[in-house]
Amino acid sequence: MSNNILSFSMNRSTSVEKVDDTCLRSVCRLRDGFTDAEVEIEVKMPDLEIVAISGFLRHAYFDEVKDLDGCLQKVIGVRVGSGMLKIIKGLMGEDENLDQLVYMVEECCHGIILTLTKKVLLKAPDDEAGKFAFYSEMVKKSIRLYDRCAGFAKGTPLVAEFEAEKYGGPA
Amino acid sequence: MMLDFMRNKVVNVAHLDSETLGVHGVLDDSIYSLEIDFKVNISDLVCSSVVGRWLRWTTPQCPQALDFLAEANGFSLAEGIDSTIHKTIGRRACRHFANLFIECAYAVREAVKMLRWQDAAKSEPGLSLKEFLERDPAVESPIPDPVEGSEVVKKSSSQAAKPSVGVVSTENEVRKAVDGFIIDLHMHTSPASPCASDSADAMIEEAKRIGLDGVCFSDHNYVWSAEAIKALREKHDFLVLRINEIVTEQGDVLVFGFYEDVQGIIRLADLKKRVEAVGGFIVAAHPFRGFLTFGADDVGLTSEKAMAREMFKWVDGVETLNGKVTATENGLAHNVAEGLGIPATGGSDAHDISTVGTYATSFSKPINNEVELLAALKEGKCHPVTYR
Repeated sequence: MSNNILSFSMNRSTSVEKVDDTCLRSVCRLRDGFTDAEVEIEVKMPDLEIVAISGFLRHAYFDEVKDLDGCLQKVIGVRVGSGMLKIIKGLMGEDENLDQLVYMVEECCHGIILTLTKKVLLKAPDDEAGKFAFYSEMVKKSIRLYDRCAGFAKGTPLVAEFEAEKYGGPA
Repeated sequence: MMLDFMRNKVVNVAHLDSETLGVHGVLDDSIYSLEIDFKVNISDLVCSSVVGRWLRWTTPQCPQALDFLAEANGFSLAEGIDSTIHKTIGRRACRHFANLFIECAYAVREAVKMLRWQDAAKSEPGLSLKEFLERDPAVESPIPDPVEGSEVVKKSSSQAAKPSVGVVSTENEVRKAVDGFIIDLHMHTSPASPCASDSADAMIEEAKRIGLDGVCFSDHNYVWSAEAIKALREKHDFLVLRINEIVTEQGDVLVFGFYEDVQGIIRLADLKKRVEAVGGFIVAAHPFRGFLTFGADDVGLTSEKAMAREMFKWVDGVETLNGKVTATENGLAHNVAEGLGIPATGGSDAHDISTVGTYATSFSKPINNEVELLAALKEGKCHPVTYR
């Protein structure tokens, strides 16, 4: 069996571009052993509201999704933001043949978030001390970062100042 | 046209031997670059030998994430594993590693379908993949779950449930000098809210300990029975009230005086009709909750633009102090409530005892039950307070 030939391969690509000063377009494409799919959304700033969506799905082992476009259009008006995953899933429905499409709408939204995140991260200084100060300040500004990952875990260096200010010492 | 951001993910699954798959995942985007390698047992989809590698990252602490990837050893990658990956790898290591791991899990499941179909087709030439999957549901059904009972998951859950040392002292805290009758109007309990980690009893005890006058359970799309709330009130000799935090297409809302069990996503306009019909009250919960590294202010959302949001056509009040958002986002909510001239509330949005009472709502007179709470809100005889 060890012939180095792959059993399965997938490639998912998400890209974001500016349509104009008030609108971003995010496109997610998936190609794998069974699937060929694409979802494209347009998001209006500053509300980050989904104002347009389109997509297609071709799949090897299940039938064409009926009224796929109608299903996608249900997320028009949803804002890219916290809690959006639950909302997108709830609006698009529970049909398991739609799982990948729902996931790709989420990926498009994540692409938008990461685009805006990149703009913030570009402000970080290049040197290590400067970076440390930048991210320490970031967690103080956004409590949501605290204990959200290894980088901002309780009791770790980047959150020390935050914990000192908030709790008087390490949590 | 110029791209602002690009993320590419590639997952390859190789057949190492008759029992084992080898998985290699790569995530490469404008910000991060990382890789995962692991093995998977084909019969039960349990993974092992998980290792990761950073090529590009952001904070000086990101490399620490690699130490936690080993927690995925023993996970079964059957359907339904994603939330466990988010909670363990995503929270303890890095959400980008979790994102890639979820892709790997998907690829493994698809690879196993492909291999089983190819095996079956050897003895049955012409068997289509679709026919094979239709007649052999075992290929797609979840495999008996070693994940929930695994040591890794148990360890992580118990740590999540543990109160934060240093946040909650063992001594009684002195009640803050806050005027009025103080109720934390927004908190979650376990197991009613899957995202919460402390029980109703624990949350009530903490509220009593820090001197609140009452609490309001606002579990997600969950209706507490009047009997259960009464029993808790009597057991703790403390004011316990119930509302419902309902997910709408416009975001979360706190609904008072409305006890229908709403499941799934409801349109806010439809919810408004139903709540209005029974004389209830809707508060926009954390309406401007932002992201991890940027908020509403960073994307240029002004009070004027915010007030024009569809959501504010349908709500009766706004939560202007919420414990899970930034000061700027609470400030924007305050400006909107003031601009619209509608009542403002405050609540901790606590999911464990460490943050009970961070924010609350002060009422001008004592509240004894849900009817009085509803009346006070409608009369606007309340204001949000910083409590803890």
